[in-house]
Amino acid sequence: MHGGKEGVIARIFRYLRFFFSVMDISHRSKVVEVTEFEVKELENLFVLLMMGSFTGVPSPPSFVAAELLPHLDHEIKVLNERAKDSFDSLSDMASLLDID
Amino acid sequence: MKTIFFTGKGGVGKSTLSSAVAWQLMEAGNRVLLVSFDPAHNLGDIFHMKLSHRKKRFKKTNLFLQETNLEQAANDYIEANMSLLNEVYSYMKPFNMDNYFNVLKYSPGVEEYAAITAMEKLFREEQENYDYIVIDTPPTGLTLRILALPRITVAWIDRLIKLRKQILEKRYTIHKITGKYSEKGTKLAYEEKDDTVMRKLNDMRERYDAVQLKLEGDENSVCIVFNPDYLSLRESQRLMDGVEELNLPLRVAYHNKLKDPESEVAQKVEHELLNGRSGVKVEHVYTIDHTEPTCYIMDTDLIQSL
Repeated sequence: MHGGKEGVIARIFRYLRFFFSVMDISHRSKVVEVTEFEVKELENLFVLLMMGSFTGVPSPPSFVAAELLPHLDHEIKVLNERAKDSFDSLSDMASLLDID
Repeated sequence: MKTIFFTGKGGVGKSTLSSAVAWQLMEAGNRVLLVSFDPAHNLGDIFHMKLSHRKKRFKKTNLFLQETNLEQAANDYIEANMSLLNEVYSYMKPFNMDNYFNVLKYSPGVEEYAAITAMEKLFREEQENYDYIVIDTPPTGLTLRILALPRITVAWIDRLIKLRKQILEKRYTIHKITGKYSEKGTKLAYEEKDDTVMRKLNDMRERYDAVQLKLEGDENSVCIVFNPDYLSLRESQRLMDGVEELNLPLRVAYHNKLKDPESEVAQKVEHELLNGRSGVKVEHVYTIDHTEPTCYIMDTDLIQSL
């Protein structure tokens, strides 16, 4: 009997732990979603500055860009993706903010 | 190692005076390298030697001479960048598209980058070999742009480092929350020590900081050469303002081609130029006869203020 009672408490704790862990994961992923979006925007900005002379914004000395560009393949990919989705940015924003 | 820059309007006697100063420093027992960055070189004419970008010893003395060809330096700089571009875009070769990169030669600013790269290399490599490096600079505008470049570059690199730090911090946060940072199989750096871009930025910062420190430091002197006439006065004023704005140590002003220091023009020019600049010493240099084959030898003691 004693053992059974403890089992119930343990089960309750297990369910509670599960409940909170699910909440935890969902919150974590929510936080990361926004941060990931931010990182992408920053990476996009970084490589955009490198290619400033193409976009017409003031750019760093070209030799600085020339030294960095070979290491920025990921960022250039991000830039391309952002450019592709740029005319759909409203829906991007809506999905980020959970608006249906 | 000390460095001395000679600046001034075209034709005021930068090359002659830098040669004379280099000669006097050598006579005083120093190992001296005299470098010309002026595209219109005349060091060779002054010392009656054929000079190139390689150092040449002057008549078994401790004076060494070199003429840095800015165009050649620019070409070297472009060549280095081209090989990188050609490596990245090697697939363009079959279509002969790689030739299109040749237009890079005409991009603005290349000459300045080449000059500052050459200067950085010179300071780094010759640090131990000479007591003095005397530099004869190109005309005012280009000189100011070259001297401003390290500071502009460092300012840019600082902004980029700040932005990069933000990216890495955010990546780190994501990594902390979700485990290993990975995106579609590519492992991305989230710490500063692992990030190649950050490393490159820090490297560059160190390099240009070193040049900037060298230019601003006690070991460096900027000298200005001017003549007793109003045209040279106006340009010298602009040059001095520029040098001060760049935080460079302006130490000596050589009043060159003087005939009569008591004359009204000479006194007015000197007064106007040095008005409010108490830290700059003035040296009077009297007209030199350029037909003399050894015009770098002068009676005036030019190095007492350096």
